[in-house]
Amino acid sequence: MKIVKIGAIWCGGCLVMNKVWNQLQKNYDFEAIELDYDMDEEEVLQYSPGDILPVFIFYNGNQELFRMIGEHSYQEMEEKLKEVL
Amino acid sequence: MKRWIIGLFLFFLFFVPLWVQGKEEKEITLYLFHGDGCPHCAAELEFLDSIQEEYPTLTIKKYEVWYNDENAELLSKVEEAFSITRSGVPTTIVGDTNIMGFGSGSDIKIRNAIDYYLEHEYTDQIAKIQDGTFVKEDLHSEAFQKEEEKSDESLSVEMPVVGNVNLKNISLMSAAVIIGLIDGFNPCAMWILLFLISVLIGMKDKKRMLLIGLTFLFTSAFVYLLIMLSWIQIAVKITTIIWVRNLIAVVALIGGFVNLRSYIRSRNSSGCEVVDDKKRKTIFHKIRKFTHEKRLLFALFGVIVLAISVNMVELACSAGLPLVFTELLVLNHTSSIMKFFYTLLYIIFFLFDDLVVFFIAVFTMKITGISTKYNKYSHLLGGIIMLLVGVLLLIKPEWLMFQFK
Repeated sequence: MKIVKIGAIWCGGCLVMNKVWNQLQKNYDFEAIELDYDMDEEEVLQYSPGDILPVFIFYNGNQELFRMIGEHSYQEMEEKLKEVL
Repeated sequence: MKRWIIGLFLFFLFFVPLWVQGKEEKEITLYLFHGDGCPHCAAELEFLDSIQEEYPTLTIKKYEVWYNDENAELLSKVEEAFSITRSGVPTTIVGDTNIMGFGSGSDIKIRNAIDYYLEHEYTDQIAKIQDGTFVKEDLHSEAFQKEEEKSDESLSVEMPVVGNVNLKNISLMSAAVIIGLIDGFNPCAMWILLFLISVLIGMKDKKRMLLIGLTFLFTSAFVYLLIMLSWIQIAVKITTIIWVRNLIAVVALIGGFVNLRSYIRSRNSSGCEVVDDKKRKTIFHKIRKFTHEKRLLFALFGVIVLAISVNMVELACSAGLPLVFTELLVLNHTSSIMKFFYTLLYIIFFLFDDLVVFFIAVFTMKITGISTKYNKYSHLLGGIIMLLVGVLLLIKPEWLMFQFK
């Protein structure tokens, strides 16, 4: 199980989600990959993130399962994560 | 291409109105009877000089009556014609209305009288007195008086402890606080502040962070203040031209629709829209360059230049609410000092959310975002305010002057 998070330092919503993201990592066991929209530009492009940040891309192995875009509560993220774990 | 459009927009918004001169075509004359050495007269003379530019079709005729017998004689004729029992200087006459003395509130009363006669039937009664054609029955001093009483009644309320309170002042103050706060949450320039803070946090130097960050914030606020004040200067001159007022109404309506559309589009999701690549990279590059500048003065200079340019560029994105607010101030004929005060109040509350994010970052050395849901509400409330003001400007401008009768 892998989740790729694409955020940016200039995005208030991404910063708000940092807390949720850290909490998820603490409570669940998954591979967490964090990418910055500006610093990791080339890598980010491979994921075609769209124009709303942050983007959370859920993977099972190499297969993309779904994406969660924008701000979400911890409960919402946890619920989705539980579905695929 | 986009830059051209923004440039053109700014040009039309701020510079074209400069050559649009004058109010209505209608010419009216204000007569002032004054005495040399009387302090209230001096104050009124200064006031009249200050509004002359604003009313290009207004002729101000001044008669010194203490040392000039001819003028004194004219004044006594005027007093008799207008049934003025308590004679003295300064005495001001506009149309059928006489205003005695010059104290607190007289400036507003004189302006109201000028505005009233610009829009209603006007007769130059003094000219009639001078050429002997004056007829007392034609004098309708009660018309303006009634208008004044109507607005006075609706605007003043007796409050316990504080006494008589002017609703207009309270309404304008609340408008400054509320619209300023809503405007503060618009995302137009917030992302640049977050950019800046992120880079500054990396430097782990609190003092430098405080200096550079506050310089950025206060320069931005100062530029915003200057833009609003210059817009007020222009709006004061042109706002009574009906098509200019309608144009402002249309701009407010468009701004309102754009904001509501942004709200509806982002209603079900919340996140940050990616700012266009080129602009983001340029700003990011500039921020890195001057924050890494070892000489503090150069760094501060860089941040000032950045703040000025960013605010000019982002203006097209955030001009709606400041435009609506300054129009409100101008419509209400507040004095210059009060216009400055209300605009300053607006700016203070506009800065509020930026300062919160910044100080949290300085003290915790962690960057906290403000949820994008506030941006959404800023779009919603800002949109509603712009639509409301736009509609009222078109059909009921007096409501925006807090006159509901």
